[in-house]
Amino acid sequence: MPVISPSAPAPLPANDLAAPVAADLREKVRRLERAHSAERAGQQAVTVGVPAIDALLPGGLLTGALHEIEAGPAPSGRVAPHDGAALGFAAHLLGRFGALRAGTLLWCRRPFGASDSPPYAPALAAWFDPARLLMVTVRRDEDLFWAMEEGLRSGLAAVLGETRATDLTAGRRLSLAAEKSGVPALLLRSQPAPPQSVCTTRWRVASARSHSTPGLSDVGAVRWRTELRRNRFGVPSVAETPTWLLEWNDETHCLSVVPQAFHGSARESDAQILGTRLVG
Amino acid sequence: MRLADARALLPDLLTIPGEPQADRRLIETLANWCDRYTPWVAIDPLGGALAEEGSEACSVGGFGGDAGLLLDVTGCAHLFGQGEAGERALLADLTERLARHDLTCRAAMADTAGAAWALARFAERQADLFCPPRGHREALAKLPVEGLRLDAPIVETFLKLGLRRIGDLYPLPRAPLARRFGDQPLTRLDQALGTIAEPIEPRRTPPAFRTRLAFVEPIGRTEDIAAATSRLLAALCRQFEQAGVGARRLEIALYRVDGSVDRTAIGTSRPNRDNPKLMKLFEEKLGELDAGFGVELMILAAPEVEAWDGTQDQLPDSGAIAASAGEEATIDLADRLALRLGAENVVRLLPRDSHLPERVQTMGAAAEPAPASAWSRVAGLKGARPTRLLQRPEPVDVMAHVPDDPPSIFHWRQHAHRIVRAEGPERIADEWWRPRPDGSRPPANTLPPYRDYYRVEDDDGGRFWLFRDGPYRMAANGRPTARWFLHGFCA
Repeated sequence: MPVISPSAPAPLPANDLAAPVAADLREKVRRLERAHSAERAGQQAVTVGVPAIDALLPGGLLTGALHEIEAGPAPSGRVAPHDGAALGFAAHLLGRFGALRAGTLLWCRRPFGASDSPPYAPALAAWFDPARLLMVTVRRDEDLFWAMEEGLRSGLAAVLGETRATDLTAGRRLSLAAEKSGVPALLLRSQPAPPQSVCTTRWRVASARSHSTPGLSDVGAVRWRTELRRNRFGVPSVAETPTWLLEWNDETHCLSVVPQAFHGSARESDAQILGTRLVG
Repeated sequence: MRLADARALLPDLLTIPGEPQADRRLIETLANWCDRYTPWVAIDPLGGALAEEGSEACSVGGFGGDAGLLLDVTGCAHLFGQGEAGERALLADLTERLARHDLTCRAAMADTAGAAWALARFAERQADLFCPPRGHREALAKLPVEGLRLDAPIVETFLKLGLRRIGDLYPLPRAPLARRFGDQPLTRLDQALGTIAEPIEPRRTPPAFRTRLAFVEPIGRTEDIAAATSRLLAALCRQFEQAGVGARRLEIALYRVDGSVDRTAIGTSRPNRDNPKLMKLFEEKLGELDAGFGVELMILAAPEVEAWDGTQDQLPDSGAIAASAGEEATIDLADRLALRLGAENVVRLLPRDSHLPERVQTMGAAAEPAPASAWSRVAGLKGARPTRLLQRPEPVDVMAHVPDDPPSIFHWRQHAHRIVRAEGPERIADEWWRPRPDGSRPPANTLPPYRDYYRVEDDDGGRFWLFRDGPYRMAANGRPTARWFLHGFCA
C-alpha cells in the first residue's frame, strides 16, 4: 500500500487544474480591487510635467479616469474670490491630455448666476488650441453629467465639467464611463467640495503670491499652491497631503516647483512695497 | 339687421355669440388634419371665418360663416387608387372621416381651385361634387354666378341684368364686360376655367421629401412608433440617396384618431442621411410624442435639405481618415447634445479680429471650428489675459497713491483687496470705425474713449484684471475721479 508522506509533492493533474482557477481568481480579485496599474488596464497616462508630482502618480495621470480639481481657499483662510488658479491648472491638465490624443475637448459648464463667466479663450491658448473646444452650457446638473457621459462615450480627447454639485452616483458613472472608453474626465469646482471617493486624483489649487525681480512691483510668473488630496493607485507620500508651490512660466509654457524657502523671502520683499499713504 | 331689431321682430330669438377666435382655431386644426392628404393645404382666404369682426365687406356675397379649406391633391390621389377612381376615393375618404368627427362638410374636387370652390357651395346634386378631369367648364355653366367669388355689388348687377348662371357669361364679349365691371369677373372666370393660374399658398412650406405610413389599426405603444419611424426613415434615406442630398431638419407628425396632430423635429448640424444616426437622434425625441388614443398615420418630412457633400463611409485606417472620423464623432455628439440642450448651448469658440477683450471671443456653430492656428495668432498679439472674462465688467471702489498709479486697494463685493503687485497700464481704445451701440457714429477729430487695463495681485495671491474707464476727470469738489471696473480673473 503506497504511503503518501506529507512532504511529498501534490499530484500533478490536480495542480494543473488549480493553476488556471487560481489565476482566474487572482484576476477577479484584482478587478474587484481595481488596484491595477496603468499598463495592466491598457490605459495610458500623461505626465503633469513636474517630476516631483509625477513621481507620486502611477506613471502620470491616467487617461481613463476621473480627476477633480477644486479651487482652494486663499492663504489667509478667506474663501477665494475666484477660481482662476484652479481653472488654469485644469486647463494645463486638459492641455496635457489633449497633447496625447488629437480630437475635440468637451467643456461643459453649469453657470451659477449671471456673474459666473465662461473661460476666456485667449488665455486658454497658452495650454491648448481653443479651436478644439466644444463649449456646452447647461442649466441643470443632470444635464451636465449627461453631457459629460455622452462626451466620454464619443471618443473625444478629454472632457471637462465645471460644476458645484456633488453627486456620488454621477461621479461613479463618470468614472466608469471614463474607464470604459479611456477618455479622461475632469471636474472643475469653483469651491471645495466634501471629499468623495470616486475620483482617481483630487487636486486643490489656490492662487499664491507671485515673485518677480526684487524691487519691482510687477506681477511675476503665475504661482499656484497645489495640493494632491487624493491619489488612487499612486505612490504613498510622506506628507499627508503633498503640497507644492507651482510656477507657470508663460514664455516656456512649463510648470515647475518653487522651493518653499525662496517663496518665504518673496513675502518679505512684498512687505516693503506695500505703501501706506493713499489717495482716494 | 341689428340684434335689437331682430329681437323686436322675434322675441324668442335664440342667439349665440360668434367666436371668431374659436372658429379660427378649429379651421386650423382641420387644416393640420388635412395634411394627411397633401402638404398643400391652405385656409380659404375668402372663408367667412377669416372675415374680421365688423368688416362685412370681407365676407363675400353673403357666404359668410362657411370657412373653407383648399387642398391641392395633385399627385396625391394615387395613394387611394388609380386615376379617377383614386381621386373619387380620396374625396369620399375625406368626407367620411370628417363625418366621423361629427363635422358636416361639403367637399368638391375639380381641375381648378375656383371650380372646386363653386361646386362645393352650389352643386345641386351629390354626384356633381366630383367633377371629372376637364369637365369643369360644363359643370360650372349650370352654377349661379355667386359661385365666381365676386364682390356683392357685382353679383347684384349680374342678377339684375339676368345673368344668373356662370354659363351665361361664357358667350359675352370680354372687353365690354371688363369696361363695365372691372377686372374681377374676368379674372375669377379665367381662374375658375383654368386659363390663368391660381396658386394655392400652403400654410407651411411643403417639404421636398416626405414619406407616409398609414396603419390599418391605430398604434399607441412607443416601441411601435419607434419601429414605424425607423421604417419611414429608411424610405426617406433612399429618397435622399437618389436626389444626392442630406437632411438638416426632419419633422415627424403623428395623426391621431381623434383628429389632432402631434409633431416633433430634429436638426442636424451637417446634411445627414445616415439612417442609424438619424434614428438615434429621433429616439431622444420620440419620448415627447403623445400617441393619445392611437395613431393612424405617420408622416416623416424633411423641410430642410442640403446637398450631400459626400464623405466616404469606410476606408482603410490612416491618420487623416482617423482624424476625420473623430471629427465626425464630434459632430454627432454635438447634434445629440444640441437636441437636448438647445443648439445655442453647444458652440465653438471663434476668434474675432478686435482689440476689445469682450469682442475677441464669439460663438460659432458646432460643425465649424476655428482654423487650427487662428487662436494662437490672436492670443500672441495681446498682453496677459484673464482666464475668465466677466461678461459685464463690475464697478469697483479704488484707492490709489497718485491718480495715475495703479490702485493700492480695491473693494469688490464687500471685500477689500490690498494690491501688492500691479502690471500695466495696457491702453485699449474704443474701435472708432464701428458705430456705437446706439447707432450713431463717433464725431470726427476726437479721441475715442479708452480703457487702461491693469493686471493686479492682492495680498492673498488672487490675480485680477482691472481697468480704468477713461482718464481722470476733475469732479465738482475739485478731486480727480475715475471709474474703475473689474473685468476678469487671471490664473
